[in-house]
Amino acid sequence: MPTYKLVYFNMRGRAEFARLIFAAAGVPYEDSRIEMNGWPGEYKDHCPFGQLPVLEVDGKVLAQSIAIARYLAKEFNLAGKNNWEQALTDMIVDEFTDIMAEMKSLWFEDDPEKKEALTQKFNTETLPRLLGYLEAILKQNGSDEGFFVGGSLTWADLGLVSINDLLSVACPGSFNNFPLLAGLIKRVRETPRVAEWIAKRPNTPR
Amino acid sequence: MPSYKLVYFNGRGRAELSRLIFKAAGVPFEDVRLDSSKGEWPGEWKAKAPFGQLPLLFVDGKVLAQSKAVARYLAKEFNLAGKTSWEQARCDMFIDEFEDIGAEVYKFAFEKDEAKKAELSGKFNSETLPRHLGYLEALLKENNGGKGYFVGDSLTWAGLGIANVYDLLGGTDAPFAKFPLLLALAKRVRENPKVAEYLKTRAQTPF
Repeated sequence: MPTYKLVYFNMRGRAEFARLIFAAAGVPYEDSRIEMNGWPGEYKDHCPFGQLPVLEVDGKVLAQSIAIARYLAKEFNLAGKNNWEQALTDMIVDEFTDIMAEMKSLWFEDDPEKKEALTQKFNTETLPRLLGYLEAILKQNGSDEGFFVGGSLTWADLGLVSINDLLSVACPGSFNNFPLLAGLIKRVRETPRVAEWIAKRPNTPR
Repeated sequence: MPSYKLVYFNGRGRAELSRLIFKAAGVPFEDVRLDSSKGEWPGEWKAKAPFGQLPLLFVDGKVLAQSKAVARYLAKEFNLAGKTSWEQARCDMFIDEFEDIGAEVYKFAFEKDEAKKAELSGKFNSETLPRHLGYLEALLKENNGGKGYFVGDSLTWAGLGIANVYDLLGGTDAPFAKFPLLLALAKRVRENPKVAEYLKTRAQTPF
């Protein structure tokens, strides 16, 4: 088994997706957390694009949080059983990325009136619409106890748990009208390895 | 061979990387371009779109959305995605970086306030873009001195991606003036016979 080291700040942020994948797969890794006042420090020069997270696999380096998550998912058979299923998981994960991008554009709006208007629009229109598309995919799969792709746990389901970490703080109640999504989040969070990680992971604001 | 249909607007935008992959692989596909002004989009297509957006890829009638997922699927089908799981991940990393560059461009490309647009594009050109291209140049150099490709020793969709970025940045050498390895790679890819043939004949579009 290769040696894995995941390097990020001491927060969930853009590394939690990878951490959830390690946890679900039961694969050990070094969960290296750099304090904010220790950044950029010496480590930045190791980073292909000057950013975190970075994954080291037997000393070789990979950047970009979703590329990292996908690599781990594939290594641990959590990415879909064939190229088509893998593409479906990619598609769903990209949608989570789009949701996060919408949220970021809110956070970086400086004008308070604009920010309020954008936040309103996000909470009442954009987010429900995007979650609705994801709910529809689960509904099409035809089972109340289902997963996003292929009838079994993939990184797409773990990505939903990761984005729920973010949304439950930033937009509480956003899954209230999406019972299939809410059910999937709960089921995945309660699987033994994921539950164990959630219970023991550092408790950080984000 | 499955039947492929790629559906997008009449422009390069978020579909061009997939078109380049089809062309480089020599695989035929139906290149559907919708005219919004004629109501072709949303038309009947929006209801078929898993996330209400384009591009869409239909493979024997089954639909896939999200431009990068589409491009990656095609790259893997046509052996343009890297030869090992690690190489595939390295390609993904480069593609994500190109996407970050694209996202920066989109921040000002649609800005209507001329003064704000000038300010944003100025910062992009003097600061943001050189930073991104600098990282890419250094990474390219790490692979065989940068004389070949981003990943491994043959063309992948990462190489097609930088050729696409070349177009995104205006289709001239100027943005790459300080990044000779990147420029040479973009040109090498654009001169690949199947790619060159496509570039000669493709529709000229504003985006």
